[in-house]
Amino acid sequence: MDIFANLAHGFAVAFSPINLLMCLIGALVGTLVGVLPGIGTIATVAMLLPITFGLPPVGALIMLAGIYYGAQYGGSTTSILVNIPGEATSVVTAIDGHQMAKQGRAGPALAIAAIGSFFAGCVATVLIAILGAPLTKLALAFGPAEYFSLMVLGLIFAVVLAKGSVLKAIAMIVFGLLLSMVGSDIETGASRMAFNIPELADGLGFATVAMGVFGFAEIIRNLDHGAEMNRDLVQQKITGLMPTRKDLADSTPPILRGTVLGSILGILPGGGAVIASFAAYTLEKKLAKNPSRFGRGAIEGVAGPESANNAAAQTSFIPLLTLGIPPNAVMALMVGAMTIHGIVPGPQVMQKQPDLVWGMIASMWIGNLMLIIINLPLVGIWVRLLRVPYRLMFPSIVIFCAIGIYSVNNAPVDVILAGVFGLVGYWLIKHDFEPAPLLLGMVLGPLMEENLRRALLISRGDWSVFLTRPLSAVLLAVAAGLLVLTVLPTLRAKRDEVFTESEN
Amino acid sequence: MADTMGHSATATRNTKVALGFCLLAIAPQIFELIWSIGTIFGWGTGRGPAAVVTGHATALLAGAPSAIFGSFGGGTKKMSSEVLLALIYSYPLFAVAILTLFMTIRSAQDYVGGVVLMAVALFALWASSDLQGMRGFSFGAGTAPRMFGGLLVALSAGIALTGLLTNGPAMAHYSWRGPLFVVAAILFFALSIRSLGLVVTAFSSFMIAATGSHETRWLEAVIVGACLTVGCAILFPYVLGLPMPMYPRFLNQ
Repeated sequence: MDIFANLAHGFAVAFSPINLLMCLIGALVGTLVGVLPGIGTIATVAMLLPITFGLPPVGALIMLAGIYYGAQYGGSTTSILVNIPGEATSVVTAIDGHQMAKQGRAGPALAIAAIGSFFAGCVATVLIAILGAPLTKLALAFGPAEYFSLMVLGLIFAVVLAKGSVLKAIAMIVFGLLLSMVGSDIETGASRMAFNIPELADGLGFATVAMGVFGFAEIIRNLDHGAEMNRDLVQQKITGLMPTRKDLADSTPPILRGTVLGSILGILPGGGAVIASFAAYTLEKKLAKNPSRFGRGAIEGVAGPESANNAAAQTSFIPLLTLGIPPNAVMALMVGAMTIHGIVPGPQVMQKQPDLVWGMIASMWIGNLMLIIINLPLVGIWVRLLRVPYRLMFPSIVIFCAIGIYSVNNAPVDVILAGVFGLVGYWLIKHDFEPAPLLLGMVLGPLMEENLRRALLISRGDWSVFLTRPLSAVLLAVAAGLLVLTVLPTLRAKRDEVFTESEN
Repeated sequence: MADTMGHSATATRNTKVALGFCLLAIAPQIFELIWSIGTIFGWGTGRGPAAVVTGHATALLAGAPSAIFGSFGGGTKKMSSEVLLALIYSYPLFAVAILTLFMTIRSAQDYVGGVVLMAVALFALWASSDLQGMRGFSFGAGTAPRMFGGLLVALSAGIALTGLLTNGPAMAHYSWRGPLFVVAAILFFALSIRSLGLVVTAFSSFMIAATGSHETRWLEAVIVGACLTVGCAILFPYVLGLPMPMYPRFLNQ
């Protein structure tokens, strides 16, 4: 069996001491980031990109992946104990998780969240291993026209699953595409929209924009409400981590459902972990015999979303590793990390870099195991960290981000640009534009332009090539269908319902 | 009575918004003017402020109209970038500003958001106007930027229209303290990291950023800032091996 041979190879790579260490560091940093509100996964991954310069590529990517799924764990801890979701993915966990904590059942809630996440993580790991190779073969059948259509589909998915106005989400994507055009043209070498500024000749750095829009903008916005956030800590000691047999029986079906739902939504471009947890919560509430229990400490409301977000966080690696197309903003940063290390993401990565791909997949399983072993005993420490006041945290984050951006290219201009994009991000938030589609558009921009050009060159300028090639036509049809469905009023109402649910 | 008061309130509000758009319409010109002041002191290269003012003023007042009428006469003279800026960027925004005066804005958040985004798109159209377009059936450097720029103009016009047609939230409240000091800290960091080194820069930026919140306690901030500086000074250059100047340049000599 190919898969087993591959996985075995992966484990051999992942169990080397340096990679184990990287995995541990990634998982711990991820948990830390997940616990602390006001600093997101995207900003952290962007911040740590330069730090991975000195590491071997495998170790670097293992660490960055660890941050991503570690943050899913950490976010749930604070959601349950403090009612502050450290991450957007655990917003729904707070609804029932915190109620459980108030009833003195914080231990079981944490344990179920961890068990659910671990189970989902295991399933997702296997799924990546199984789906990886066939999808890579499929990718080889892709010409430029198909790639272009696939990316259109991905961006449309991002729009459908984004929250708020569809029009605004599309506009953000196009804005991102436009930003990606800054710099030298790949084919002609002409300088585009660079205004003779030498630092812009290479284009806007992806990490720079990400850090500005997600790091600085978030800090500036948090300062609006005053630095002191309302934190009602659950002060009593957490006793009795073990869930009762009834808890386990109640939460097994939601964990299974959440895992399936999360795995599917993770693979779909644009989805990712946030939408998975929302969808899982809604599903559990719909299926429950007595929906009124939700919001009052139903264990299903913790088990479902927590499994879903972890499954989605991991399966979103599938499109990245097989097709080279990042399905969400964090994966987009992983592309950045790969490029830094001279690896071009795409179908050839699986063949050319088996160490990297299978090592990373295996490390995810190890990382999940580490998280469950380390984090339950460490809960007390994470909670104590929350007492660090934001007034001290935010200047520290600013400095860390600034040093991080500076060290990517040793260019002060990058830091200034990040500051500018911080203001842009603040403005976007104030006008209710979502920054995540912008980032996705920015990453996919060069790829889209290149494939569009190539497709049209091959077809000798005939635009109908996108519709006459069957695979491309199907992809575009799905994209168009999705867009129509989203704009339809009934589905819109449903979509809004899913998102407003979390805000109460 | 209440009705008329409400009406006059929206009228002044609209005038303000329209004035804002007018300012936005000449923002690139103003930016170039501010930039050009530096040439007086011999920083950078470029035109002096006087040349900038006269160049843009003639483009805005006379150049663009004559270009429009000239095109009727069949003149295909290549237009200067100033005239193009006026034509592509400033004039449409002036038009929007004038239209704003006669509109009832239902959702200022969407309307202003849409118009500003449109300004960005128009600016991108201008910036890519000097690039080569389609050559036969192959894309030129400028094709994709113009395509996406045009698309963004249409989309943002749609958003602005939503702001006119449907009720929605008004403009959000902006605070000034947080953004000002955080951006000041970032700028200070960028401008002084090369000359002052990591230690001085990190600590000063920390203190500047800390000023952004009115809840900062100074003694606490100084202690944490110092610890953070020491931590960074060890972490980045030594543990991670990233080359970075540590101390001010004048101390090293």
